[in-house]
Amino acid sequence: MDMPSAQRSLRLKIQSVPEVPTLETIISVSVVARMLPNLAERTDAVTGEDQDWLVRANRITKVFTTNGQGVLALEAVDLVLERGSFTSLIGPSGCGKSTLLRIIGGIETPSQGSIAQQASPRIAFVFQDHALFPWLTVRDNVAFGLKMAGVETKERYRRSQLWIERVGLAGFERAFPDALSGGMRQRLSIARAFVTEPDILLMDEPMGALDEQTRMLIQEDLIRLWEETRKTVLLVTHSIDEAILLGDRVAIMSRRPGRIKAILDVELERPRSLHTMADPRFVALKDTIIGDLHDEVMASMEFR
Amino acid sequence: MTSIKSPSTKSPINEELERSTSHSRRLRRRDALLGIATPIVLLICWQAASSTNLIDAKIFTPPSTIFTTAITLIHNGVLTHDLAITSLRLIVGFVLGGALGIIVGIFLGIFRTLRAAFSPLFAALYAVPQIAVLPLLLVIFGIGETPKILTVAAVSFFVLEINAMAGVRSIDPQLLEAGRAYGAKGRRLFWHVLVPGSLPAIFTGLRVAAALALVVVTATEFVAANSGLGYLVWNSWQLFEPNEMYVGLITIALVGVVLTGIVELVGRRIMPWSGRNTRD
Repeated sequence: MDMPSAQRSLRLKIQSVPEVPTLETIISVSVVARMLPNLAERTDAVTGEDQDWLVRANRITKVFTTNGQGVLALEAVDLVLERGSFTSLIGPSGCGKSTLLRIIGGIETPSQGSIAQQASPRIAFVFQDHALFPWLTVRDNVAFGLKMAGVETKERYRRSQLWIERVGLAGFERAFPDALSGGMRQRLSIARAFVTEPDILLMDEPMGALDEQTRMLIQEDLIRLWEETRKTVLLVTHSIDEAILLGDRVAIMSRRPGRIKAILDVELERPRSLHTMADPRFVALKDTIIGDLHDEVMASMEFR
Repeated sequence: MTSIKSPSTKSPINEELERSTSHSRRLRRRDALLGIATPIVLLICWQAASSTNLIDAKIFTPPSTIFTTAITLIHNGVLTHDLAITSLRLIVGFVLGGALGIIVGIFLGIFRTLRAAFSPLFAALYAVPQIAVLPLLLVIFGIGETPKILTVAAVSFFVLEINAMAGVRSIDPQLLEAGRAYGAKGRRLFWHVLVPGSLPAIFTGLRVAAALALVVVTATEFVAANSGLGYLVWNSWQLFEPNEMYVGLITIALVGVVLTGIVELVGRRIMPWSGRNTRD
């Protein structure tokens, strides 16, 4: 794939009436989503000053229209995802953090602003309610992205098996998602994302629907998986603990219309574990974030 | 003999597992037995009531007489012939109409333009009882197999068109998004997300259409045929042969059971993911 310059900026079309893509547009128009373009293609032809960033959101504004009323969800948001960094995005409910993630991932178009990317990174998602395909077995759910990328059967099952084992689902290869517990489903969703070896992993409240115990287990898994693979990650969460525990930095968003209010670096060494939460620096950072969020949050926010 | 694995060393888990499986097996066997016993008891009551003239045996023919009539009708080939011709009309109409309905329904579900153009028309046409169109079809095609098969095909088409369309429309948008996010676009999204996602609704449609198709084929045979199970029932009314009528009715019921059974079986085969966890 030839590139005019080392870094290619992808300017997304500005739509006057943004709406959820209909089936029609998905089927007939080839949408801006360009996940897993070609597994053979690598994307590190980056030179010069901006080595480090992978995705850059420039002045992203998003307006939703419902019943003839326009709601400003995001207002001129800038966010840079650096290669190999873990960014947690936290903010009050309805502040547009999920929308920002979706725009960065290319499954939603901004009303104004643009997303710049280094080459064409492969992007994988972990959705809030996992969005697993109920008609596919555990194995085929994990292998789905590879299948769509044209990886041949034997190879895709071999790679899927590695991830099934890594997330602790060995023995459930032939089970359907409906037969799994909530925690297992989310693990499966994580495996489905990691197996595609994405350059960027976008996680939208992946543990939002889980109970405390399961949540802790999966957080530990995620810490371990991330420390092993060092993917570029954007994690949307409403849990301050989770944001700090997993992130290299925590971006705090304001109430709607969402803006990035502050970005705090997490100065906690790795490897981390759940015990990191007892570290005085963790507690201090948490306190700072609570202070930052306080006027934004009000009652809607859950402190976990 | 030194017994290493004597029954007493059985773990409490295995013991409890055995107990619970044998308990549920016992319950299932009892349920199956009750399901068979009830109709048998009713048949015995019917037999007793009509042979003791408690009810009019001329109208409520005793089961034993129905049975012997059935044997006679099988021997002289009447029943087998009627069964064959009805099955043929039913299956040809159901498969043709159903397949077309599924294809049209899926496309209407996907493309808004098509939906806007055809959906109101189809909804209006579906509101006309298909059997009411039979006379028109008779005018156009004459008394042959075509109008009967077409009527069955029409009802199957509309039911499946509606269900397949609803099936596509009801797919969780999150799944479409996930499909897209993992690289399924265009044709691949169609085959790997849209089709499997709408299968449950399509099979609901197939079950409904199977039942309606049987109603329609019977009704067309009442008025516009001189063969088939519907004709057998109608004719035995005109000849006042209630015993033959019962044979016809029972055979129609059996055809219904077999047809829905096939749909059910195919559904379970094609959609192993659905219904597995709803077992009690």
